[in-house]
Amino acid sequence: MNDIKTKIETSLTNLKEKKSRIYFVVQDTKGNARASVKFIYDIAMALKDDGFNSIILHEKKEYTGVESWLDESYMSKLPHQAIEGENLNISPEDFIVLPEIYGFIMEQIKDLPCGKIVLTQSYSYILDTLQPGQTWSSFGFFKCITTSEKQKEYVETFMKKISYDIITPVISAAFTKPKLPPMPIIAMHTRDQTDTINIVKQFYLKYPQFRWFTFRDMRGLSENEFANSLKNCFLSVWIDDASGFGTYPLESMSCGVPVIGKIPDLIPEWMDEKNGIWVQDKLKIVDYIAEFVQNWLEDSVKPELYDDIEVTAQKYNNFENFKTNVIEKFSGYLNNRINAFEDQLKKI
Amino acid sequence: MNKNISLSVILPIKSSKAKDFGVFFEKAIASLHNQQEQCDELVIVHTNEESLVSFLDAYDFKSLNVVKKVWNEEPNYCSQMNYGVEQSTSEWVSFFEFDDEYSNIWFKNFKKYLEVYPEVSTFLPVVVDVDNKEVFAGFTNEATFAANFAQEMGYLTNEVLQDYQNFQTSGIILKKDVFILTGGFKPSIKLTFGYEFLLRLSYNSPSIMTIPKLGYKHTNLREGSIFWNYKFGDNKITEDEVKFWLQTAKKEYFFTTDRKIKYEIQTS
Repeated sequence: MNDIKTKIETSLTNLKEKKSRIYFVVQDTKGNARASVKFIYDIAMALKDDGFNSIILHEKKEYTGVESWLDESYMSKLPHQAIEGENLNISPEDFIVLPEIYGFIMEQIKDLPCGKIVLTQSYSYILDTLQPGQTWSSFGFFKCITTSEKQKEYVETFMKKISYDIITPVISAAFTKPKLPPMPIIAMHTRDQTDTINIVKQFYLKYPQFRWFTFRDMRGLSENEFANSLKNCFLSVWIDDASGFGTYPLESMSCGVPVIGKIPDLIPEWMDEKNGIWVQDKLKIVDYIAEFVQNWLEDSVKPELYDDIEVTAQKYNNFENFKTNVIEKFSGYLNNRINAFEDQLKKI
Repeated sequence: MNKNISLSVILPIKSSKAKDFGVFFEKAIASLHNQQEQCDELVIVHTNEESLVSFLDAYDFKSLNVVKKVWNEEPNYCSQMNYGVEQSTSEWVSFFEFDDEYSNIWFKNFKKYLEVYPEVSTFLPVVVDVDNKEVFAGFTNEATFAANFAQEMGYLTNEVLQDYQNFQTSGIILKKDVFILTGGFKPSIKLTFGYEFLLRLSYNSPSIMTIPKLGYKHTNLREGSIFWNYKFGDNKITEDEVKFWLQTAKKEYFFTTDRKIKYEIQTS
């Protein structure tokens, strides 16, 4: 009995001193930039900066890391550990934050006594690795962090008995308005690369007078390259039906670049009729691009569009707000655990 | 906006007897009035043709600061343009033609780009070429932005010009002293005088940039125009002569002075 009491007291001390480990499981993107992974690193970093014990957990020992596309500080400041071949010390006061794509890991760790949180950025992946009938709660996951109210509303229709928190992603400080005027370059960001290819080919065939405009596929770039490329562009095109939040258009807007986008299945909460050219019909996107090109060449794009994108972008580029939100949420999780342990202690 | 920029527009005119001269001229002048940034002056270098002088004397240029200079020698586009530049009083000059129009954003964009590219001494507009009926025929000067074309996007280099001639000086804005130091247009060169000038300019001054905005509307092959005459008029030139002037441009751009080149039919 005394042994249990001591363990609980140790856990309580660790929780109160923010020593309990918060593991964030991440994918190895093999050096490719990915907004979803950056979001996890941003949360972990915000916590680390505030004295929490956040640790990045990757599957295999060979982990490429994020310094090539994000920043070296994310690697050096945050401890990294591999799941494979290492004896992870997971105590009851610890937490594991697991992205929704790792449904198969949920089953493996269901008996761990730690706090378990699922992090959902893209609702479309949730069921990919779950068997029919399986839910998060059946693996001991009762807490979910997601990125928007809309996504929360949608996910909770089928993932029940879960409490949801929202942490809105923050747009990196690398995405700022450029000093130089843009070039006749169109940034392309489509979930399916064939969409990019089809739009480019069709545009040149349909509007040969604009063949001197360049399309730039934004894949495979580091964050800084990505931001610098965007700053050269006068227009962004975005197609991602399964988007959970819509980071790319916000990054474009932060660079002062208007977006022509296909409205995703889950309409982002920042999207309104004024802050972009949002279309239902993917097949008409080339015509919207051509119309925008003509207006841009004549300086007749409505100035209100640029005002509106700036207003929208400003709501998502405050790192301090993001950090405050992250700390508030995780402090809450720790406090809940403290309360639970204290209740247990009283019962002994 | 009534803010002047240090810019003189040079407009050489040979004759008012050209077809629809009045209509074209009216539109050309209106395009200057419609600018969102105003130029300092309009320098018209005109011949002493009686009807032209009367027309210009009677014309109401409204708020434009117009300086009229008579050209008493043989009418020649290049000579008149060179003279107009010499007589101008601004830091920058732009080349205009009575049958063309500036877009209302051209001077504004010149000012905007000059602020962020102070090292550039020559700005080219994207020119919209139209036919006599104002039907769109294509763009000119836009190729500096085409993929894998220029070494640096937007910049026109001598290397690019060696392989691609489709650039024009209509609507161009460049520093007056750069134009003069480069030697101005060479009146003896037919057909390719603009191309030769751009080759020479790029050879001597590397910073020529196209502003990716529609800056100028150019009427192609207007009846009676210089190039119309080369193609259809009394001064029609042969394919051999076209080749000759093209080769001449590539040979002559090393020289800043006009070496009085003449085309002579080769006989064997």
